[in-house]
Amino acid sequence: MADVRSTQEAAGEGSEISSLEIVVAVRRDDEGDALARELLRTRSRVRRLWPMSTRLPEDADVIFCELVPELPQCLPWVPGEPLAALVAVTPAIQAPDLKLLRNCAPHAVLHRPFTPGAVVTSLALARAQFLYERRLRSRIDKLDETLRAFRSVERAKTILMQSRKLDEEEAYHFMRRQAMNRRVSISAVAAAIVDSHDVLG
Amino acid sequence: MTWRREAGSEPWRVGVLFSQSGVMAVIEETQLRATLLAIEEINQGGGVNGRELVPVIYDPGSETRAFALCAKRLMVEDGVTTIFGCYTSSSRKAVLPVVERLNGLLWYPTLYEGFEFSPNVIYTGAAPNQNSVALCDYLTETYGSRFYFVGSDYVYPRESNRVMRDLLRSRGGEVVGETYLDLRAKRADFGPVMRQVRNAGADVIFSTVVGYSTVYLYQSYLEAGFDPRVTPIASLTTTESEVRAMGSEVAEGQITAAPYFQSIANERNARFVSRYKKRYGDDEPTNMCAEAAYFQVHLFANALAGTNTMATDIIKPAVLDSDFEAPQGRVSVSAATSHTSLWSRIGRANRAGQFEIVRQSAMPVWADPYLVGRGRASLSATVR
Repeated sequence: MADVRSTQEAAGEGSEISSLEIVVAVRRDDEGDALARELLRTRSRVRRLWPMSTRLPEDADVIFCELVPELPQCLPWVPGEPLAALVAVTPAIQAPDLKLLRNCAPHAVLHRPFTPGAVVTSLALARAQFLYERRLRSRIDKLDETLRAFRSVERAKTILMQSRKLDEEEAYHFMRRQAMNRRVSISAVAAAIVDSHDVLG
Repeated sequence: MTWRREAGSEPWRVGVLFSQSGVMAVIEETQLRATLLAIEEINQGGGVNGRELVPVIYDPGSETRAFALCAKRLMVEDGVTTIFGCYTSSSRKAVLPVVERLNGLLWYPTLYEGFEFSPNVIYTGAAPNQNSVALCDYLTETYGSRFYFVGSDYVYPRESNRVMRDLLRSRGGEVVGETYLDLRAKRADFGPVMRQVRNAGADVIFSTVVGYSTVYLYQSYLEAGFDPRVTPIASLTTTESEVRAMGSEVAEGQITAAPYFQSIANERNARFVSRYKKRYGDDEPTNMCAEAAYFQVHLFANALAGTNTMATDIIKPAVLDSDFEAPQGRVSVSAATSHTSLWSRIGRANRAGQFEIVRQSAMPVWADPYLVGRGRASLSATVR
């Protein structure tokens, strides 16, 4: 399987898919064993868990999971706030249960029968999707906070312009410099300026 | 397949998430009741396109985490896509990731602090510009501009006070003190607050205390010997239901800003109030949160009649720009913000536990959740 190894290394030194904590909650059959073996080759720690516990662990980076009907209840998070990348392992024979799949909101799917290449692909895809989602969520959180803070930054700027006879650009630079010196956010500096202005009248 | 009902007669199942236990039950139960009243009205009128509305109800017990888990259960196990629910901002924020990830639609019938626009929420309670602006004007004109802020310690009071502080400053006023108390605060916790209010020389106590501790705030106020004609408690969150819980003599003379009061004199409201009382008892008042919970079910049902599907991507566009003759007057959902245009009113509590409306807007006020136009937009509130 030299091909797989080189594919993996090509994906940026395997930065996103090596040395991970991986939980494998998959049947202990030949395919399940092959899956665990393939994951071990990414230099990750692999924990096997079968039968599936009623609550999957919260400390994994990636969870490979049999797509069983009770899976939504076993996931240790609510949809929209995943704690790990989730790969749903789907059975070969039955038609996929799309509703169940939607409710689990996995980041990738590994359909049986699978090849070693498919294992690594699903791992890389799930991990990348999970990290991207997390970056987006954190961006939204920051945007929300910025929108709220914007008003105090504007007000602080006005205060500085009046009390220190600065122009708009200088007032903003003043806040940025203060923020850097004190290692706090600009909005924290702005809030402090507004508050002290209140106290001093 | 003879045992199976035809698809066309299956009921419409909707989720309902309000606390029936814990500290928030005093207000959330009224939202639950109003939701069920609206569902009954719709079903008595033949349902929606001949199909009955059936609520799937859970009690999150005033616990934030339980709201998220109940929302997950509704969407994953019960297969529901539309949920009516949430009072506190913390509970809304807990449900948000679930409805966003699974593409549900949350109908949120409570005033809140603004600064949010989820594609998976319809907001039917007041945003700050729809109640705080008129309230600030009224208070500074009538009582003075030294405000003391008292709030429950969670996201809504802090954010709402940020807005009120801004409004007050722009009118030359000042915040002379600020205290946040635990949602489970005891009566004894309010005594020291009243002393601080007195020492600070406040003209107005601006309250965003919610839940059962509201009762203690007003009781402690009376004990401290304040006079509501001079230094009133002004609130965005004290409704007829909290007044009933504390006793109407305790609240007499205090001020609340809201889109709706039970005392509104129109035929639509008279029908709503009489049905509510008939169903839940003569001494059960309606309130702004219950009214929003009530009219939002009707907004939903009207949209559903047109789309004949609850799929979020189809029904949501039908909700936007729709309007409804609510007990508070005509309301409409803005396509730009998914917030509802509501009436702005100031009420003063009387001995009967009702609010006498001392000021109201001439027309519905657009929701401006990000306060983009505040300061520039002229206030449409007029003295009666």
